[in-house]
Amino acid sequence: MFALSPDAVVVTSENARHRHLVERAAAAGAHVLCEKPLATTEADARAMIDACARAGVGLMTAYPVRFSPAFVALRRALADGLLGGLISVHGANNGSNPARSRPWFADPELAGGGALADHTVHLADLVDALLDGEQAAEVYAQANSVLDDGGPAPDVETAGLVTIRYPGGVVAAVDASWSHPPDHPTWGGLAMTCVGEKAIVEFDAFPPLLGGFDSATGRDRWEAGGADLDAAMLDEFLDAARTGRRPSPDGESGLRTLRIVLAAYESLRTGHPVALSAAVGTAAD
Amino acid sequence: MAELEVALIGAGGIARTHLPAWVALGARVRLYAPDGQAPALAREFGATSVGSLREAIAGANVVDVCTPTDTHREITLAAVAAGAHVLCEKPLALGAAEAAEMADAAEAAGVRLYPGHVVRYFPAYARLRALVAGGGLGRVAVARFTRTGRYPTWSGWFADPARSGGILTDQMLHDMDMARWLFGDVVRVHARQQGHLTAPAPEGAVATGTAVLTHAGGTLTQVVGVWGPPATPFRTTFHVSGTGGTVQHDSQAHLDLRITGAASGGPADGIPGGDFGESPYLTQIREFAEAFAGGPEPRVSGRDGVAAVRIAEAAAESARTGRTIELAPQTTTVPTGGIDQ
Repeated sequence: MFALSPDAVVVTSENARHRHLVERAAAAGAHVLCEKPLATTEADARAMIDACARAGVGLMTAYPVRFSPAFVALRRALADGLLGGLISVHGANNGSNPARSRPWFADPELAGGGALADHTVHLADLVDALLDGEQAAEVYAQANSVLDDGGPAPDVETAGLVTIRYPGGVVAAVDASWSHPPDHPTWGGLAMTCVGEKAIVEFDAFPPLLGGFDSATGRDRWEAGGADLDAAMLDEFLDAARTGRRPSPDGESGLRTLRIVLAAYESLRTGHPVALSAAVGTAAD
Repeated sequence: MAELEVALIGAGGIARTHLPAWVALGARVRLYAPDGQAPALAREFGATSVGSLREAIAGANVVDVCTPTDTHREITLAAVAAGAHVLCEKPLALGAAEAAEMADAAEAAGVRLYPGHVVRYFPAYARLRALVAGGGLGRVAVARFTRTGRYPTWSGWFADPARSGGILTDQMLHDMDMARWLFGDVVRVHARQQGHLTAPAPEGAVATGTAVLTHAGGTLTQVVGVWGPPATPFRTTFHVSGTGGTVQHDSQAHLDLRITGAASGGPADGIPGGDFGESPYLTQIREFAEAFAGGPEPRVSGRDGVAAVRIAEAAAESARTGRTIELAPQTTTVPTGGIDQ
């Protein structure tokens, strides 16, 4: 495929295989949109960022939720001072266990973990956007494998809570669990509450457009609402690729949120909060 | 229950919820408050106002402690020494050692001490307990609780950590107690608090707290507390996920009666607003009154009050030190019997 000299490449492989494909794309001179989490190790993420920088191509991390018009409005209201200073954020990114249909999601080698790796990053990216890229200072996490125990994800956590503290004092409390039952009417959802000094704002990335009851399935009816977030994300990627400007969220955004996930897993191992170094280094070489 | 002689100590917000409940149960109530607010509140509900704590407690069967938290221990010990049963507002005390001293004193004196963990009596929370205890959610993996209201600037002591324990203890203790009641003892606590955390708190102050509780059985609970800007409506939510499915609640989502269009933004004149079921405060106080009279044990015990303070104290220590706090397993266990609902 790279022989066709594409201008842009979208990488949607298993997490641990992102690096190889991104490096190949960069070597071919293609701009890259890479699925989240950017990688499963910090070394891989840095190598991807460096490869794209050396090749002069853009690297974008696929975080569609920050393209929600409602979130854009929330971000602008915060930036304009309408909410006062941000004090804390709490939110949940819950969904169905993806390993039920794609087993690699529960393979720590390929996925980098379970629910924490899969779901923490979406909310972490939203806070990253609200705080203009402030790197988290500390992460605490707890997790268990009660849900789907003995099912498709025996080796990884299926439920987890993460508390993230930022240097400026903001604290984000996240539920990153794969806690939607198999026959839940929606695949997943993401909701977040921002407490500011002047107002409290609740954001729902996937609100229902219509509800009711579906006699054919015997379940609640759920007609999805909200904007097409993937389309908005692809618009940003393609516009950045065409104009040669830096896409947003970029590879550094992906690295900052990956570092939160890696710290969460270290916290699981130690039982204690894990401090992140203050600044993310730039090029490793 | 005409034989109930109740000494209600304090005349603030919580006394205003307890007094009509006692009156509805036919109790005679004598009211004392050091801040001079007792005569007006007593007049409003047909109770008697007295001039001292000693006068209030003398001859009372029951002492209901509705004062700021830092005074609970002293008043409770005085009541116990006088041979009265005690209903003490939550939290029982600022520290677990003080709370245990109160529970020990009550046991030694042969009187009952119950903490005002009224959230256990709110219908949605009582039903949640029945669902979880009945196995309706299977094994529970993870739960979230939020509690949001305006910053309690109306009374200065709430903002003072030395008097109330701050948001982690004063407000979030409710959901910490619920989590322990639902999922068993807590063995690990991590918490953070941010915003305006000291007294005095000016109008417009905001504070939040977050806590992650790890239960002995493996269930994880996230508790979020918000003391919000002045126009923040009171709202509580929970979301619980287990192998048997999920259950959620939002106190603002499905109201019996929603009134809009009134000029003030509040309930229109002459139209009743709010909840239409029995007041959870009345349900709570009836259950306690029956236990004081020799009836069955209520759904909450003095030891539950001590255990909740222990969790809150660990949360406060975690927030102060930035560390995870490990709690040794307790000899007392969480009662698992069902509740009437």
